[in-house]
Amino acid sequence: MRSRFDEQLAILNKEMIEMGALCEEIISKVLKALTDEDKDFLNGISTAGTEIDRKERTIETLCLKLLLQQQPVAKDLRQISSALKMITDMERIGDQAEDIAEIIPFVENRPEMADTLLHEMAKASIKMVTDSVDAFVEHDVELAKKVVSDDDIVDKYFDLIKQEIIREIISNPKDGECSIDLLMIAKYFERIGDHATNIAEWVVFSVTGIHKEG
Amino acid sequence: MTRKIFNSIIIVAGTILLSSVIIIMGCLYNYFEDVRERGLKDELKLSMAAVEDDGVHYLEKVKSDRYRITWIAADGTVIYDTAANSEEHENHLERMEVKSALENGEGESNRYSDTLFEKTMYYAKRMNDGSVLRISTSSATVGLLVLGMLQPILIVVVIALIMSGILAGRLSKRIVKPLNDLNLEKPLENDTYEEISPLLLRISRQNKEIKAQVKAIQQRAAEFEQITGCMNEGLVLMDKDGIILSINPAANRIFSLDESCVGRDFLTVYRDHEMNLCIKNAIESGHCEIQQTRFGREYQFDASRIESDDEMIGIILLIFDITERVQAERNRREFTANVSHELKTPLQGIIGSAELIENGMVKQEDLPRFIGHIRKEASRLVILVGDIIRLSQLDEKAELIKEEINLLQLVEETTENLKDIAKDKNIEISIDGKQVIIYGVRKLLYEIIYNLCDNAIKYNIYGGNIKISITKNNQNAVLTVADTGIGIPQEHLDRVFERFYRVDKSHSKETGGTGLGLSIVKHAVAYHHGKIDIESKVNNGTTITIKFPM
Repeated sequence: MRSRFDEQLAILNKEMIEMGALCEEIISKVLKALTDEDKDFLNGISTAGTEIDRKERTIETLCLKLLLQQQPVAKDLRQISSALKMITDMERIGDQAEDIAEIIPFVENRPEMADTLLHEMAKASIKMVTDSVDAFVEHDVELAKKVVSDDDIVDKYFDLIKQEIIREIISNPKDGECSIDLLMIAKYFERIGDHATNIAEWVVFSVTGIHKEG
Repeated sequence: MTRKIFNSIIIVAGTILLSSVIIIMGCLYNYFEDVRERGLKDELKLSMAAVEDDGVHYLEKVKSDRYRITWIAADGTVIYDTAANSEEHENHLERMEVKSALENGEGESNRYSDTLFEKTMYYAKRMNDGSVLRISTSSATVGLLVLGMLQPILIVVVIALIMSGILAGRLSKRIVKPLNDLNLEKPLENDTYEEISPLLLRISRQNKEIKAQVKAIQQRAAEFEQITGCMNEGLVLMDKDGIILSINPAANRIFSLDESCVGRDFLTVYRDHEMNLCIKNAIESGHCEIQQTRFGREYQFDASRIESDDEMIGIILLIFDITERVQAERNRREFTANVSHELKTPLQGIIGSAELIENGMVKQEDLPRFIGHIRKEASRLVILVGDIIRLSQLDEKAELIKEEINLLQLVEETTENLKDIAKDKNIEISIDGKQVIIYGVRKLLYEIIYNLCDNAIKYNIYGGNIKISITKNNQNAVLTVADTGIGIPQEHLDRVFERFYRVDKSHSKETGGTGLGLSIVKHAVAYHHGKIDIESKVNNGTTITIKFPM
C-alpha cells in the first residue's frame, strides 16, 4: 500500500518538475522573442502555454486523488498541498509569459535604455523561476530563501524602468503608447518574479513545515 | 538445526522410556499371573482331596477371602459354594470351565468384570464321583495395576524427561557447534565432520568460480568505463524510469554535472522540456533525435530505447558535438550559393551582349566594344573557374611536388609579372630581404605571393607603394607584404579569408577580383604549415605577414 503511495508521490514529483521545465521554457522563449524579434518564438509560446494548462489539470487531478485515496499526513500532506499551491503559481507564470508575448509585436522602436533594463529584468526573473524549480527539485531551503530575497532585485529593476519610461514620455510624448506597453511587460516580469517567490515559499513549507508569517 | 536434534533426542528418549515401562509391566504381570495360576491349581488339588474325604463339611470349614470354591454336581446344580448360598445359583453346566472339566477332566476360564478392573480366574476339575470342584480367585487387571502405579511412573517419567531434555540440549549444541564455527571463506581449512566435506569442497569450488566471475565483471566494467571515459561523445545510460545508471565524463561536461548525479532522475539533473519530450518519444517509438545549443556549441542528442526480450529496460542517450559539422554545412551552402552567383554574373553579361549583337541592335562601330565586353567577361569566368579549381585541388590535399625554393627570387619573378598593372596605378613596389630558401611547392608559393601583391595593388590608392620584405627569424621564413591602400575595417578582418567574402560588395566589378584570392592564400599557407597574420587600418594600409616553418 505504502509502496504504491510512494510511487504516486514520485510521479507527482516528476510531473511537477516537468511543469517547472515548461515554465522555464516558455519564459526563455519570451526572452528570445524580446531580443530577436523573432515571430517564430511567439507561436511556440502559445502552445507551451496550453501545455502548462494541461499539466496543471493533470497534477491537480493527481493531487486530489492522492488526498482522497491515501489520506496522507505530515510530510506527505505538506508535499501534496504545497504542490497544489505551486501549480497555481506556475500556471500564472505561463499566463504572464503569454501576455508578454501578446504585447511584444506592438512594441516598436523601444527606447534603448529601457530596453537593456528590460532585458536585465527578464533575465533576473527567469533566474528566479529556474532557482525556485531547482529548490523544489533539490528540496533546497537555502536556495528557496535566496529566491525570496532575489525578488527585491526584480522589484528594483521595475522601479528603474518605470522612471525611465516617465522620462521617455516627457521627452517624447508621441511614442507614449509604446512606453505604456513596455511598462506592461515590465509589470508582467515583476509578477513572474512574485510567483517564483510564492513557489519558493511553498518549497520551504513543504520541507520544513513553516510557511512565511502572515 | 539444534532444535531438530533436541526434538529427536527427546522423542527417542521418551519412546524408549515408555516402551520399557510397558514391556516390564507386561512381563511382570504375566509372571505373577502364572504364579497365581499354579497356586490355584495346587489349592484345587488339595481341596479335592479334602472334599473327597470330608464332603461338604470341609468346604463349610474353609472360609477364605482369596478363594471361592464351588462344588458342582454332574448335572450342573451347585452343591456348595463358599461365597454364596448354593440355592441361588443357577445351573452351572453352561459355564465354560465346568463344561470342559466334565468333558476332559479339567477346565479353566477367565472372566472380566464390567469395569474391566477386576479379573476372575476359574479352575475346575472333575472328581472321581463325576461332580466338579471349581476354584476361583479375583485379582486386579493390568489397567488397575497401571493406574495404581501411575504416580510413581509419572514421577519417574518426568524426571527422566527433564534429564534427557537437559542432556539433549547440551548434546545438540555440541553437535551443531562445529557447523556454526565453519569458516566459509576458506572451506577446506575446516576440521569438522567428515560427512560435510563434500559440501565444503563444493563451496570452495563455487567460491573460486564466483571470485573469477566477479573479477571478470569488474574488468569488463573497468573496460567500459575506460572506453566511455575516453569518448568525445557524451553517453548517458538510464533505466526505464529515467534514473541515470551511468554517465561518462564527456556527458558530464556537456550537462555541467558531476558523478553524484548517478542514481538520480535525469529530469532532475537536466531539466529541459524539449529533452524530456525527446526521451518520452524514444520510450514510445524507440528513437528520437534533437539538436540543441549549449554554451555556444551545437549538440545532437540521440535517445534510443534499449530492449531485451521485447521489454524496455532502459534508454541510452548519445550526445554528439556537431558544431563543426553545422559550420561546415553552412559554409558549403554559402559557397554553393556564392559560386552560382559569381558564375552567373559574367554569363549574364555575355548573354546580354550576344543577344544585342544577334538582334542587330549594335551599330557596326560599337561592335568591338561589345565583343571586347564579351571577351572580358569570359576571361573573368576563366579566372574564376581557375581559382575554384585551384581551391578544390587544395581542398583535396593532393600531393604536390616539393622543392627547394629561393623565396626572394620567387618574389622578384612574381612582381615582374605584375609590373604593368602596378604601373597603371603608379604604384611603386620595393623588395628587400635576404636570400631565404624554403622547401615548398613552387606553384602554391607563387599563388600566395601573386595574390597578396595583386590585392596590394588592387586595393591601393593611386600613387601608393608596396613593401615586400623577406626575413628569417628563429625557425621561420617571414614574408611581409605591406601596402598603403584603403585598408580593411576591423569587423571584417576575421572573414576576409572566407571564400567569396568581399569587404565592399559593390566594388567587386570595379576591382575585378573573384573573392577567392585570400582564400587560396590561406589554403596554400596551410599546405606549407605556415601562419598568416593580418593587420589593417582603414585608409592607412594593410600588412599581411606569413610565417613558413623551415
